[in-house]
Amino acid sequence: MDTAWEKAKFKRPKRKIIDSLFRLAAFSSAVLVVVILTLILMTILIRSLPALKLSMIIRTPGTGYYLGHEGGILNAIVGSLELISGATLIAFIIALPGVIYLNTYLKKNSPFSEAVRFSLDVLWGIPSIVYGVFGFLLMLAWHLRASLLAGMVTVALVELPILSRAMDETIRMVPSEIKEAAYSLGASRWQTAIRVILRQAFPGIITAVLIALGRGLGDAASVLFTAGYTDRLTTSLFQPVATLPLAIFFQLNSPYPEVQQRAYASAAILTFLILLISLVIRFFSRKLSRHKIK
Amino acid sequence: MKKEKVRRLISASAMLFPLLLTVAILTSLVLKALPIISLKSLPTLIFSSAWQPQKGHFGLWPFILGTLWVTITAFILAAPVAIFTSIYLAEYAPGKLKKILAPGLDLLAGLPSVIYGLWGILLIVPFISKYLAPLFSSYGSGYSILAAGIVLAVMILPTIINISVEVLNSVPTELKEAALALGATKFEVIYYVAMKKARPGLIAACALGLSRAFGETIAVMMVVGNVPEVPHTLFSPAYPLPALLANNYGEMLSIPGYDSILNFAALLLLLIVLIFSLMSRLYLNRLKRRS
Amino acid sequence: MVERGRLSLRNLNVYYGRNQVLKNINLDIPKNSLTVIIGPSGCGKTTLLKCFNRLLDEIEEARVEGQVIVDDQNIYDPGVEVTLIRKKMGLLSQRPQVLPMSIYDNVAFGPRLLGQKDKSYLNPLVEKYLRLAGLWEEVKNRLNEPANRLSIGQQQRLCLARGLAVEPEIILGDEPTSALDPQSSRNVEAHLLSLKTNYTIVLVTHILRQAKRLADYVAFLYLGELIEFGPASEVLVSPRDPRTRAYITGEIS
Ligand SMILES: Nc1ncnc2c1ncn2[C@@H]1O[C@H](COP(=O)(O)OP(=O)(O)OP(=O)(O)O)[C@@H](O)[C@H]1O
Ligand SMILES: [Mg+2]
Repeated sequence: MDTAWEKAKFKRPKRKIIDSLFRLAAFSSAVLVVVILTLILMTILIRSLPALKLSMIIRTPGTGYYLGHEGGILNAIVGSLELISGATLIAFIIALPGVIYLNTYLKKNSPFSEAVRFSLDVLWGIPSIVYGVFGFLLMLAWHLRASLLAGMVTVALVELPILSRAMDETIRMVPSEIKEAAYSLGASRWQTAIRVILRQAFPGIITAVLIALGRGLGDAASVLFTAGYTDRLTTSLFQPVATLPLAIFFQLNSPYPEVQQRAYASAAILTFLILLISLVIRFFSRKLSRHKIK
Repeated sequence: MKKEKVRRLISASAMLFPLLLTVAILTSLVLKALPIISLKSLPTLIFSSAWQPQKGHFGLWPFILGTLWVTITAFILAAPVAIFTSIYLAEYAPGKLKKILAPGLDLLAGLPSVIYGLWGILLIVPFISKYLAPLFSSYGSGYSILAAGIVLAVMILPTIINISVEVLNSVPTELKEAALALGATKFEVIYYVAMKKARPGLIAACALGLSRAFGETIAVMMVVGNVPEVPHTLFSPAYPLPALLANNYGEMLSIPGYDSILNFAALLLLLIVLIFSLMSRLYLNRLKRRS
Repeated sequence: MVERGRLSLRNLNVYYGRNQVLKNINLDIPKNSLTVIIGPSGCGKTTLLKCFNRLLDEIEEARVEGQVIVDDQNIYDPGVEVTLIRKKMGLLSQRPQVLPMSIYDNVAFGPRLLGQKDKSYLNPLVEKYLRLAGLWEEVKNRLNEPANRLSIGQQQRLCLARGLAVEPEIILGDEPTSALDPQSSRNVEAHLLSLKTNYTIVLVTHILRQAKRLADYVAFLYLGELIEFGPASEVLVSPRDPRTRAYITGEIS
């Protein structure tokens, strides 16, 4: 079979070149992704530095703020926090019992649980602008104005599939021996059983909540017509509320350079908050998983 | 025992909520869109490029085309980079580097769309108008399909990369070793064996990225120019469906049919996105179950 | 003149990170014979096998010291073309690993990599090696079916045929029958026996009876050390080292 050998000698350089080129392409793509990430963070950081003042985060917009006068975006920071805590709470209250039902009462692959998981996937795929539209229709039906409440409900809908799916994954991961041991405690001690399972899945649930929080914090399209906007702090569920993404969006549309600068600063603040959340997620998923039984 | 029943009832209805919500969103959009569909014909609404709401012309074609152009541009830019990056991460990168890159990718995935939009305005738009477009003798503001495509491509990178890495990692090491043992180079193993085995998963990852791109609103509308005309080149501005909704929905002018056409646009967008995301989700779930 | 098919280890040490798993191994595996490596679980048998065709290169934390000499060449020398080294050895793994393609393409995979695209050359080649692995009669009418439709035992013989098609001098097997039913095991064993006149075969096994059935030479590995090596009749019947005796009588496993 010397022909194969001859061919091998002939082909080797070409194969090696393709191999190296492929490796190079893969490596350069990875480098490109890293460069892009750095570029985004650097752009935001460098542009925002001149406008990053303490007053940005401790003051609400003063008179003439949008003409470049004094003030800050405390309204949007507080508003965003109010909005996402409420929204995540609502989403959590709906998601948790549902996920528990899905994983305890129903058989592993019953058509019913398949249908629910399928609908969660459907919901996950819906763009947040469509949630915004739906939220607005709900507002019309309930005769609500654009308000903190309406915004919360809409964002809760955006977060629901993310939260449910993520919690579902972790609760499903709980080893079935633990589940069975827990159920054998008896139906009357259902809560004890749930507590055992939840403790096992706790880090995963925290992570799921944080992911949902981050998603809600960054989402602008769903609150565009439901939350309204205000320069004051929101103290009631029925008042409109300012949010960070929209604060950035609106300030950016201003013709005044000072105001645009503040948009960059607001972006830095938002990025920082998102960074914080993703760090906490890492911390939790590492720290807490140690208490899990492997 | 009564308490148990109540508990069961509550959690069962909580579980049903997603099902009901899905149905509610679809039916409310359909109901709201029906008036305009019955007034004009479906083909007119979709294929007419006349958009003059005051005169009663509601052609969505420019917006549909805008959506397609932007999304496809983003996809063409993102898919190769994402696949190659995931190959690097799954097959070449040393463990330490993976540990450094993973949080970076997570961060990229978690950044809000306004931040991407802002980045586009600060960097991509000026770059296009100053350097790139003049090369093709096109002079404009830079707010264009290409700008939106680039921003969107960056946004869907982490989605595609994360899933693809997972899919590639699920190819058994022993299988790759078997191919190596036959004298295959690393490229040959990846291309003829790993990627072949992972192909359905990789396609699903791309489809999921595509579906995200279709629905993205804020970042795109910040850099795409928002001009309701049929686009001609990558440097033309466009007006995708999500931007149409974002700019006009809340106001609800008292033009007859206006709110209905916007609801129809939302429905259209929803359907397009769902087709892609559902196909890929179902596919990925099936793959997961099999492994 | 270069003697084909000889395999020697000189002062071989292998580490995973800080953990040393093979300790100063010296071994000459005779050509055209069947050598069986036995030893308790975790003693480094798989690692040793992966040294022979440099699959350890793929494991990030693995480090190899010493020499592995194939055809009078240290395969760990810098500048050695690793794909050509691997081509000299066929590998049978614990579970058969068929490539995600048709039966035909599995066998033709190696030759095609070397640039052989010609059907008139490939067709007889595929048939020859499928016959050699005893699979031809069973698959000759379904060559274009995906290989994963075969039974596990058939898949393992396909892997054998695929390995033979790159014209190796050495066949390495890592417990190649452990996933198979007794009938298929016997089948694979029979083919390995018939191949040893033309190939050097190194086989890792857990099953002592299999070792007795097949081995010309036996190496006993314990905690990363080569305790004993010699003709099967000596090592398996009257081992010199007490540890080997303990293993063979089933006291350590
Ligand atoms: N990739 C790896 N990283 C770190 N340690 C490893 C790795 N692979 C194997 N080891 C360790 O090296 C030692 C030898 O492993 P090896 O797989 O060679 O044993 P073996 O003799 O083949 O065992 P078995 O009979 O169970 O297959 C074991 O202690 C194992 O834990
Ligand atoms: Mg082993």
